[in-house]
Amino acid sequence: MSELTIAMPKGRIFEEAYALLQKAGFQLPDDLEESRKLIVEAPGEKIRFILAKPMDVPVYVEHGVADIGIAGKDVLLEQNRSVHELLDLKISTCYIATAGLPNTVLSDIAPRVATKYPEIASHFYKEKGEQVEIIGLNGSIELAPMIGLADRIVDIVSTGRTLEENGLVEYEHIVDVTSRLIANPVSYRLKSERIRDMVKRLKESME
Amino acid sequence: MTPIRKFEKPLGMRDSFPLMNEKKEKVRDIGRQFFQARGYDFIKTPTVEYYETIGKASAITDSSLFKLVDRQGETLVLRPDMTTPIVRVATSKLLKEQIPLRLAYFANVFRAQEHEGGRPAEFEQMGIELIGDQSVYADAEMIITASEFVQELGINEYRLTVGHAGLLQSLLAQMTQSEAQEKELHKLLVEKNMVGFEETVRTYGLSEEEENNLIDFIGQASNVQSIEQLQPFIDEMNHQQMNMFSYLNNLSLLLENASLSSMVTYDLTLTSEMSYYTGMLFEVFASGSGFVVGNGGRYDGLLEEFNSDVGATGFGLRVDRLLEVIKPSTIRESHTLLFFDEANYLEAVKEAGMLRSQGMRTTIQHLKSVEDRQAFQTNFTDVRWLIEGGGTNE
Repeated sequence: MSELTIAMPKGRIFEEAYALLQKAGFQLPDDLEESRKLIVEAPGEKIRFILAKPMDVPVYVEHGVADIGIAGKDVLLEQNRSVHELLDLKISTCYIATAGLPNTVLSDIAPRVATKYPEIASHFYKEKGEQVEIIGLNGSIELAPMIGLADRIVDIVSTGRTLEENGLVEYEHIVDVTSRLIANPVSYRLKSERIRDMVKRLKESME
Repeated sequence: MTPIRKFEKPLGMRDSFPLMNEKKEKVRDIGRQFFQARGYDFIKTPTVEYYETIGKASAITDSSLFKLVDRQGETLVLRPDMTTPIVRVATSKLLKEQIPLRLAYFANVFRAQEHEGGRPAEFEQMGIELIGDQSVYADAEMIITASEFVQELGINEYRLTVGHAGLLQSLLAQMTQSEAQEKELHKLLVEKNMVGFEETVRTYGLSEEEENNLIDFIGQASNVQSIEQLQPFIDEMNHQQMNMFSYLNNLSLLLENASLSSMVTYDLTLTSEMSYYTGMLFEVFASGSGFVVGNGGRYDGLLEEFNSDVGATGFGLRVDRLLEVIKPSTIRESHTLLFFDEANYLEAVKEAGMLRSQGMRTTIQHLKSVEDRQAFQTNFTDVRWLIEGGGTNE
């Protein structure tokens, strides 16, 4: 049995996904997240976990240094990398939406949209037939409309509490987001048995 | 933008240092002999072609083309692949002389970078095209030749995935309600977006049975060892479909004969964004590269764009990715160094000539021009001294 390398996002998604794998019958130790280690082995199952930033998971998988990975649909849409999307794990459910100050419209002259997702945002407004200027930010996107940097933001919404607390309202729902199991195209062929087995077991345990 | 520094190359361009270059040349040599022995003639075409012809007909997306403008204002492209130029030459000239036509190439092609590093913008491709033979034997020849060539390079851990573009299209058409749906699903299969496929199928308002049929098909037809497993999806009343299915069956028998069964997986959902693939298509994977090392298939559709209906099949391998996969040879080739001083120059030339005539790689070097002799010597397997007094070192 060949070793399988899985790229996992650090933090909450890791825990949820790890629990899913355990539920699917993979013999993984309970106390894995022990330290700041970036590579964690589960020798019993011949699995190696790489702990990465969520945005980086598809990068590792596309280049084949990880065979499979767990990535949010938001990241996949934003980066559009050539990886196979095998399974919807239905964890970390949220969605991407536009938001702004209440009772405002997009400026006529140079409508500005601040976001961590320039690709998704520009695609969304193009489809709507509106030309906007995208301003890329790395976090605390809610600040942008509050201090007059942008008319709208495009961001992840899970409960809506952050928006509310900052006096923003949601305008348009863009797309639902969950975590997905992705695979490198070559690993998908060369390690097809292991990967298909994992997909099957995960699918069954989710039903 | 930071200013460009002296040492920089354009994004995605790479140097081939001597060691890598040697390795590449070796692959080229093996390939030349290998393909020539199978009746393929090597051909070269221009690096620059017209955008209107090659640029548009090639399967490479517009944004990946390097474009320039000539003095007449015509847009030119650096060739993004070799298949399209070869089809241009073949349909305009060579096919009039010989048909079927077997051609091979080893050439650099260009694809502009879209985002980041990690992939070259110029790389070598090696492959063959068989034009004017529509038989299953021609298609089998492609798969078998690609496979044997990969073995010839010493790569043992590899797999081939074989599909059929026409059959997939026919099956999708049958299972969906409109051409728009068929196109949409086709696009999702190109991306191998299984999640998206299932979600999209569920939005079509098909009956539950039809939905499950489609989803089962994608799940089961994507990884089969023997063609018979695909039988349940084929509509026996559909003549065209039956023909393509029996074609695929014949192909699999030919591959079995070539003892390739253990290397080949059939995937009916295998497809390509290139719309000119009409029949069989395949991909080559090898352990050691995260990317597909090569692909091929029947592209009658491309010939139609050049007003020819004789059909063609072929494949191309990415030399840069093959090099990643090939195990580096540990044997150091012998290389003799002759150090000489002023008095012994002629002697050195003579001796070097003698060594070279015996087939030994020999370098002569004026001793005083070398500052760090110790370091310089490490590049050679043998060092000889032709200096006053015949000393070996000071």
